[in-house]
Amino acid sequence: MEKADSKSRILVEMKQVTKAYASRKKLFTRSSPQVLALNSIDLSIAKGEVFGLVGQSGSGKTTTGRLLVKLESPTAGEIFFNKTPISQLKGPGLKTYRSRVQMIFQDPYQSLNPHLSIAETVLEPLIVQKIGTPDTRTEKVVHTLDTVGLSPGEAFFNRYPHQLSGGQRQRVAIARAIVLEPQFIVADEPTSMLDATIAIQLFQLLEQIKETFGMTFLFITHNLAAARYMCDRIAVIHDGHIVEVNTADNIIRHPEHPYTKQLIKVQPGFKYTR
Amino acid sequence: MQNKYFVSRFYKGWQIFIENPLGKTGVIILSVFMIMAIASFFVPLIDPMYDPMTGIDPDIKLSTGPGLTHWLGTDNVGRDILAQLLEGAKVAFIVGLSSAFFSIVIGTLIGMIAGYTGGIIDAILMRFADIIMVLPSLVILLILASLFGQFNIWIIVFIIAILRWPAVSRVIRSQTLSLKHRPFIEASRVAGASHVRIVLRHIMPNVLPLAFLYMTFRVTSAILVEAALSFLGFGDPSQVSWGMMLQWVWKSGHMFQAPYWLIPPGLCISLLTLAFYMLGRAMDEVLDPRLRKEGQTG
Amino acid sequence: MSLLSVDHLSIGYQTKNGMLKAVDNIHFDLEKGQSLGFVGESGCGKTTIGMALMGLLPENAVILDGHIRFQGDDLISLTETQWQTVRGAKIAMIFQAAMNALNPVMPVDEQIKEAIITHQPDISKTDLADRMKELFDLVDIPARRMKDYPHEYSGGMKQRAIIAMALACDPALIIADEPTTALDVIVQDQILREIKKVQEATRTGLVFISHDIAVVASVCERICVMYAGQIVETGTRKEVFKSPRHPYTRTLLNSYLSLDNLNDIRVPDMKESPDQTVDTDECRFAGSCAYARGCAGRSPDWIDISPTHKAFCCNPDVIRRGHGKS
Ligand SMILES: Nc1ncnc2c1ncn2[C@@H]1O[C@H](COP(=O)(O)OP(=O)(O)OP(=O)(O)O)[C@@H](O)[C@H]1O
Ligand SMILES: Nc1ncnc2c1ncn2[C@@H]1O[C@H](COP(=O)(O)OP(=O)(O)O)[C@@H](O)[C@H]1O
Ligand code: SF4
Ligand SMILES: [Mg+2]
Ligand SMILES: [Mg+2]
Repeated sequence: MEKADSKSRILVEMKQVTKAYASRKKLFTRSSPQVLALNSIDLSIAKGEVFGLVGQSGSGKTTTGRLLVKLESPTAGEIFFNKTPISQLKGPGLKTYRSRVQMIFQDPYQSLNPHLSIAETVLEPLIVQKIGTPDTRTEKVVHTLDTVGLSPGEAFFNRYPHQLSGGQRQRVAIARAIVLEPQFIVADEPTSMLDATIAIQLFQLLEQIKETFGMTFLFITHNLAAARYMCDRIAVIHDGHIVEVNTADNIIRHPEHPYTKQLIKVQPGFKYTR
Repeated sequence: MQNKYFVSRFYKGWQIFIENPLGKTGVIILSVFMIMAIASFFVPLIDPMYDPMTGIDPDIKLSTGPGLTHWLGTDNVGRDILAQLLEGAKVAFIVGLSSAFFSIVIGTLIGMIAGYTGGIIDAILMRFADIIMVLPSLVILLILASLFGQFNIWIIVFIIAILRWPAVSRVIRSQTLSLKHRPFIEASRVAGASHVRIVLRHIMPNVLPLAFLYMTFRVTSAILVEAALSFLGFGDPSQVSWGMMLQWVWKSGHMFQAPYWLIPPGLCISLLTLAFYMLGRAMDEVLDPRLRKEGQTG
Repeated sequence: MSLLSVDHLSIGYQTKNGMLKAVDNIHFDLEKGQSLGFVGESGCGKTTIGMALMGLLPENAVILDGHIRFQGDDLISLTETQWQTVRGAKIAMIFQAAMNALNPVMPVDEQIKEAIITHQPDISKTDLADRMKELFDLVDIPARRMKDYPHEYSGGMKQRAIIAMALACDPALIIADEPTTALDVIVQDQILREIKKVQEATRTGLVFISHDIAVVASVCERICVMYAGQIVETGTRKEVFKSPRHPYTRTLLNSYLSLDNLNDIRVPDMKESPDQTVDTDECRFAGSCAYARGCAGRSPDWIDISPTHKAFCCNPDVIRRGHGKS
């Protein structure tokens, strides 16, 4: 009974997902070797959960995120969203999926179009998804900008990305991601380019958004402390394999896999002073 | 909203531009030609004999040197050389700008499509561009002209445009390739934007500055091609242009007798193309922050 | 005589909006074999200090005031030719993302040899070979990998090679500007250990720059915390991290997530960083400071907490009021 219940609450599920990239052909070698970015991984994320994905660079974190938002398709395996296999999605089905699943990118300096004003950036998903009338859209954008802490929203309307700080840009990117009120957001190292004081404010914002909208998050990071602060459960990924999944506290306090232990050991902290 | 941004960007760019010695010189020369082109509309109004094509001074039957009624002299049928020169400026602008504009439009579209779609479409379009790029445009024009006789000026404009887009499309394509995987494009895809929307809304504004840069260089080459064509006798005979003036000097055998007739059009061609070239170089500097002096921000 | 002594240094950048004071009246000393860390948010002037110490400031930078004395010589008055005998030989630098600085078409050992020969043209073949072996030993790259090309190295190995190159001429001072920011946590940990080990072994002076306080804490004995071009607090590593006094340092430490401080994280209410083109004697942090009472119109001053620990503030009460958590 218990089990069936928890199953019904699963929002995102990856089954045996493999992703291989054909690595660039080297001169003089005949076969083009492949990079196995993800090697048959299984993952399930419950509704309303903040799920952390932690690993060193090149381990396959971003690839997982890109597969989930369908920027890329798996080489093998299947991804389910609300029990629907997403590889089948086309046309209107795909468009609906795109309104339910959003992504926040790592580099706030690259993720906003320099030629679009803040209003235009946040409006775009609404226009693309044909939601509301021009008036209600504008209202929605103002409201969303307020929500992400860019208030009053009108004051940011006509500004351009180059007139904002890194933290403010990332807030705009968050606004763009939540304006459609998606069910699931992939946040790919949203603060790794930002200073600690700014990062912690963004974490608080994401938490607040989760409370208000009941969204589910995949939170990608290489910082275990941030993952523990944000997440309910954490998966540790190494070389395209998920080596360990557990609740956030258990991962830190009782790591099982040697790689997890190593990752904990190298996390920067004040171990040298305390 | 977007306009305001472009205005401020444009204003900053303009300031850097005008501080640049090349840009400044280019703009000054260009303004002079602009005034000449505008003047060409008014000169025939003073007296019908100043019409560059049909205005024949009843008192003059031969080419004469500079004088009071004809400041730069007349050609062999008594038409005013200054009036022709002014008309030539107008034509040079029309030919240069419009053919550059068309080749930029074609080149930008093809470059964006090739870069964005990639794969087989990209390969086909780029091979096609390569083929056209290696064709010598003047020779092609000469062959076409000898097949079909003399061309109307707009057909010349059109052919130059058709022959000159590939270099633009190459540049735009590589710019598009570097934009294609930028997170802001992917964010738009994740929101469900169509390919057409991504190209027009996100890629185009980011490649347009580059396209305009290339436009100034294209103007130069279009003016030169038209002048050469006219000089060789394949221009539009119903239309005065600097190349055509040179052709008339040559054909009427005044090449070595009437420097007052030969030198002005030749000089104008060189100066105008030089001005556009300088403009392009200065614009290069505006668009490429690496060439900019520190502290200037555009 | 200190190895390096920086005295009332102010550096400005000429910008469209006027003179931007990127470094404002900075003061510090460094002895032989010591390490000094600079920490602060992006844009606070850390790189500008590093570049000034290397004589590599961009063209629009102006040294407004102050002195930089290195082994007794005033570096500010050096000409470019004189700089060339200092740079790389006596003062070396490890840049951010320095691994991209390796020449991809030249074996790593050749590049390091070249660095040595530039400054010691008449070194003998055997001495050179000995020195190379010594250097690669020091940074833990196996001798058999010496002749590899940069692309055959991992990111961490490239960064080690860069450290070896910085050490090549046995400099008296190394400046490291965010040497691990482009690396992931595991490699970062290795490189930080490497830098610390090498610095202790060679007794070189080290100026270490990072925006990550934990990284600075793991390498340096003494720390300078910077905000908007100024040093706002300085002390030993223990003093600054165990008992931070300046309101900005407290904010920084309170908001830093590490595995052992999750429960007492405080989310700061930080305003925009101040406009540094505006000249003022008032406290630059006042806009975001939780203790700003009666600070407007006054200029902050240095307040001593211990002989090595001091903070720059108007309110001695705030600074002297003991333990760090606000
Ligand atoms: N070449 C320059 N021209 C104009 N202003 C500059 C220049 N370089 C730096 N600045 C400004 O000087 C201040 C200090 O810059 P600096 O690069 O030293 O900061 P930083 O602490 O190293 O930051 P980051 O962590 O982002 O590298 C900033 O306000 C910056 O905008
Ligand atoms: N477009 C791509 N082409 C080829 N290889 C790729 C591509 N994207 C990622 N990879 C490779 O896949 C692996 C996982 O990459 P990624 O998911 O980006 O790692 P992370 O986000 O953890 O840094 C790495 O080995 C990377 O080099
Ligand atoms: S001087 Fe005033 S505003 Fe500045 S840090 Fe001290 S208490 Fe805060
Ligand atoms: Mg990544
Ligand atoms: Mg820096």
